[in-house]
Order: sequence, then structure tokens, then C-alpha cells
Amino acid sequence: MVSVSAHGRSGSELEPGPVLPRPEAHEAHTDSVRDQVLQTAARKAEEETGPGHRRATRVSDGALLGGVCTGLARHLGWPVMVLRIGFVALAITQFVGVIAYAALWLLMPPESRTSAPGLDAHRRQGLRQETKHRRRADWGVLLALVVLGAGLIWLLQMTGLGIRQQIFWPVAFACAGAALVWRQADTARQNQWKKDAGGRVWLAPLVARGGWPSIIRVVIGLALVGAAFGIVVAQQNQIQQLPDVLAMTVLALAGLAVVAAPWLHRSRTALNEARAEKVRADARADMAAHLHDSVLQTLALIQRQSDDPKQVQRLARRQERELRTWLYGEEVSDATLKAALSNAAADIEDDRGIPVELIMVGDCEVTEKLQPIIRAAREAIVNAAKHSGADKIDVYAEVGEEQVEIFVRDRGKGFDQDIIDEDRMGVRGSIIGRMARHGGTARIRSGPGEGTEVRLEMPR
Amino acid sequence: MTQNQNEFTQPDTLGQPGTGDVPAGERGPDGPRSVVIVDDHAMFRSGVRHEIGDRCRVLGEAEDVDSAVQVILQTKPDVVLLDVHLPGGGGVEVLNRVHQKNPDQKFLALSVSDAAEDVIGVIRAGARGYVTKSISGPELIDAIRRVAEGDAVFSPRLAGFVLDAFSGAIDIASVDEDLDRLSPREREVMRLIARGYAYKEVAKELFISIKTVETHVSSVLRKLQLSNRHQLTRWATDRRLV
Repeated sequence: MVSVSAHGRSGSELEPGPVLPRPEAHEAHTDSVRDQVLQTAARKAEEETGPGHRRATRVSDGALLGGVCTGLARHLGWPVMVLRIGFVALAITQFVGVIAYAALWLLMPPESRTSAPGLDAHRRQGLRQETKHRRRADWGVLLALVVLGAGLIWLLQMTGLGIRQQIFWPVAFACAGAALVWRQADTARQNQWKKDAGGRVWLAPLVARGGWPSIIRVVIGLALVGAAFGIVVAQQNQIQQLPDVLAMTVLALAGLAVVAAPWLHRSRTALNEARAEKVRADARADMAAHLHDSVLQTLALIQRQSDDPKQVQRLARRQERELRTWLYGEEVSDATLKAALSNAAADIEDDRGIPVELIMVGDCEVTEKLQPIIRAAREAIVNAAKHSGADKIDVYAEVGEEQVEIFVRDRGKGFDQDIIDEDRMGVRGSIIGRMARHGGTARIRSGPGEGTEVRLEMPR
Repeated sequence: MTQNQNEFTQPDTLGQPGTGDVPAGERGPDGPRSVVIVDDHAMFRSGVRHEIGDRCRVLGEAEDVDSAVQVILQTKPDVVLLDVHLPGGGGVEVLNRVHQKNPDQKFLALSVSDAAEDVIGVIRAGARGYVTKSISGPELIDAIRRVAEGDAVFSPRLAGFVLDAFSGAIDIASVDEDLDRLSPREREVMRLIARGYAYKEVAKELFISIKTVETHVSSVLRKLQLSNRHQLTRWATDRRLV
């Protein structure tokens, strides 16, 4: 029969979906970040080029119904129209076409959109829009199930092997129940499950955690099957034997459960492990993506501004700072003096294009009392960036037992403190004055050609 | 003494021992230093070579631990510019293996990372200085000269780490242990370096000679390498350095 051959053919190509072993994954998280990123990149590349033979997939682009013909056509290299006409012809003559189509619909996995790690990462972080094809395919699968069921029943009834009227409804109930249970295995997650459960996809609905909807679905499905069973028993036997039969059935099921429990448990554990591993892999891919993203942006900007060395230097410096923090940086809580000064330094570096090197010894929480010294330090850095002409500003902050000291130093042109110009009023007002008002001190050492050092002290 | 170490050196011979045609006497204290560059990024190696090429003689390059050990032991340069992150075990591994055979080899560590683990780790393994890769050409040449002369090179960041590591109240029990704390003068020197002062400026500020500054810095380096001070150990443990 055509359906068998078609099924067999595609089946042989469909089933051996190679489950990629990931032996390196478990050792991975002991390695350095760089190694992890490299490994992730290597695995991604392997996954993309990995499987030797391609599987036929349903294609949502250009699909009329389920994308089966389009997918098959692409897989076999035939024109789509030939396949479509073939299926329609089969459907008209024997209805076998419908069954074959529905079976293929179920068996062919939807085209998995493997995209670049960066795109995946963005999708996970909600930076990109999810394509809508998936949803349509899900409903399509439900439709396929109905079509398949109807086709099978019709075929059976027509061949004379048909079911007698009295057990038709039980069978229908049972089918609907089973369909509900297995419906879960047929969402877009099926592929994932197959991978997770080591190919035992039929186990997936029982061991997977799908949330309340799936539990309800399973319960209703089982109830339907049970009802069908009950009806059959009620019709076949005397009604008074029903309790005995039910009891025996329950006993048998309980025995089965006891036997199968360890196995189910193991599968479930494996599934959870696989899931955790996927989360880790995603995190690593996200890291790689972040890295490439930010560097790409900067490279693009640098190309555009390549005739402005100052700007290029600024961009490179900012990128360097960001990468450095991201790769090697310690976690700094936002409320510490270190974070406050780093932010100030970074802002000024970006605004003015002059590197600001911050060295911290010790750290402490930022209290209300420390706000003035932070502002004064910021002002001092801005001043140095604006007026000194130095190519670098050194900031040194030391948190002692009783006081906080901050030094801002440049090797620029310096100035004579006795003749502070009008635009240097910032020095008097916002540095010396501010520190004095809040119980601290500010001393400025400068002279023409000697550079400037601002020394700020504030008791803690 | 350092000049005599590399009698057989030849400019730009990658990893090959020279034939000894540079008489040691011809090179004054400011003569070009011989250098081996160890870094896994070819681009960085050629960049450094380009920047220091006319003031230093680059005897060889290496891109991983094994080739680095081989080239260094073969060419015996004045100074090895050593990347902290290297395939095959990192810069620390190179330091350990070379120092087993040749304990006098001098290293200057370079890194893109400012992480405390890297900085302190490589210093405690025996490097005589640490600078970040963003250092300018003239500064790097100066640092190479200093290391070649047996002094230590402390960037502001390294000075900051040292102050951090040796900070805290002085442990009364270990006051006698000279290794375990910084003298007030050393502390002052470290603070000035952390504030961005060059050695020359430190000397001027403290009314001492540059040589004295260098002595102080070398002494701090020794303490950093040898100290088992409770404070330092704890600091290191906190950062998983030990």
C-alpha cells in the first residue's frame, strides 16, 4: 500500500535523529570563561554542521496546509506541485492520501530554525520577535490528528472490518483520550523532549513537567480512556461484575506502576539534568553573543569615525573597559564607594575622551556623609579632563578606618593657584567650598607645568 | 651583571641562539636590552615588537607555554615579556618551569586583565613587575630597562593591590616578622605610585634618590613574593589565589 511505503520510507529517514552527545559539557564549568565561550562556539558550529544526513522537515514558508508537501519536495528534490497533485489524487480515490498526509504531518518534525547564537540569545532575552509560525503549526497538528482519526475510521468502516455500532463510542472515547494524552508530545517541544529523554519520546508526557494544563489534559485523557473501558465492560459483562473487573484492573495497574517506577524516576532525572544542561548552554551562548555584540558595535563605530583619532581612542577605551569588567571584573554592588567612583570615572572618560585610571584600596558603603567627597572628586576629574591637557588622569582612593582619601592627579599644564581664572571657579566653589562645608578638606597642589593634584579627605 | 648574561644574542633571530658577536663591553647601561615576547596573540606580539623594536632587541617570540620555555632557556634574554593568560597553563607555568632551570631569568608580566588573582599570582610566582597591555611604548621600554637592572616595576594598580593586601591593623604577634608588613616608607612609596607618581616624582616628593625608591619597591616585591603574613594569606584566600 502506498501509505505503508510512504510511511516506511520517510520513517527510516526520520527516526535516527542523531542525539548529539555532549561529553564536554560537564567539565566545562570548571574552565575559565574564555574556554567556556570557545567551547560553546565550537559546539554550536558542530550542531549546525553535525548530522550527516538531513531529515525531512515540515516547512511553514509557502505551506498550504501543514507544509508536508513543501517539506517532502525540498527533501526529495521534486516539484511541489507533483506531490500535491499526488496526495489529492490519492485522497480522492482511496482516502489513503489523507491518512498518509496526516501521518507524515505528525511524523515530520517542524522545521527547526537553528539560528546564530547571537540571534538565539536575543530571542531568549526578548530582544527579537518570535516568529509566529510555531503557533499555526501547533493547531495544524491537532487538525492533523483529527483528520488521521477520521480517515482511519472511515477506512476501517469501508473495508468491512468496521467496528460494530455498540463498541464504536467506547473506541472513539479511547481514541480521544489517547489523543489528548499524546497531544502533548506533539507540540513544538517534541524535538526537545526526544533529545532530553534519549529518544524515548513516548515517555515524555509522563516524565515531563508541563505545568497545570498538561496535567489536566493527561487526567482528562486518562478519564476518557477509563470511561471507554468502563462502557466496554458494562456492555460485555453483567453490570454486577463491574466492581471485580475494576478492582482487578486497578491491581494490575498498580503492579505495573511498581515495576515501572524506578525507570520512570530515572528518565525524569535524566530529563531534568538535560534541561539544566540546556540552561547552562544557553547562558554560555548568551555570554558569547554579548561579547561579540558589543565588540561589533564598537568596531562599526570605529570604522565610521576612523578619521577622528580622539573619537576612535574613546570608543576603544570604552569597549575595553566594558569587556574588562565583564570578563574579569569583580561583582561590585552599586552602593559602594568603588562603584560610585568607577561610574564617575567612566562617565567622564566617555564625555571627555581622556582615560581615567581608578585605583581603590579598601571600600565602603556610600553613606550620606560621603556624597560630598564623591561629588568633589567628580568635579576634580572633570576639571583635570577639561583644563589640564594631560593624556591620562590618575584617581587613587583609600578607605581607612576613620577617613576616606581621594587623590586626583594629572600631569598636565597645571596652573598658578593665586590667579585662578573665571572658568576655574569650579575649583573654589564645588571642590574646596563643598568639602569645607561638609567637614572635609581639599588641598590643591599645582604650578604651571607641574600638573595638578587634588587631595580630598573626609572623615567617615 | 645583566649585560653579561646575554653575550650570545643576535637581533631578530626567532628562537635561535646567537653567535656571540656582541662584546659585552660595548653596551653601556643604556644599551638595548634583549627581550623575548610571550603572548598567544600574534597581533599583540607584532605590535609590541614594532613599538620597542628600535630600543630593544627582540630575540624571539613564543605563543604557548612549551615554546616559551624552550625559547627563553635557549636565548636567555634580559627580560621576558610574559602574558598572564597563555595556553598550556598560563604565565605562572612558564615562570615555574624556567626558574627551575634558570632562577635568574627576569620576567615582566603583561596582561589585559586587572584581576587581583592574575596580578598577585604572577608576582608571587616570580615576575619582577606587572603592567597592563595598554601601557605606552616609552613606558614599556622604561619598564623593561628597570626589570633588566634588577628593579621591580609597579604599576599604580599593582601598588593598589599591595596596599590592599598589606592593609589592616598590624598583627602584634608578627611585628617582628619583617616580611609581613610594609615599613612606613615603603607604604608611602606604594601610596605615591598608586596615586600615579613615576619613580622620579616619588623621589622628589619624598626627598630621596631614585635608587632609594627602587630599593623600596624591590623590597616590597620581595615581601609580596615571600610573605606568609596572615593578612596577605587571608586576602589571597578570599580571592582564591592560594
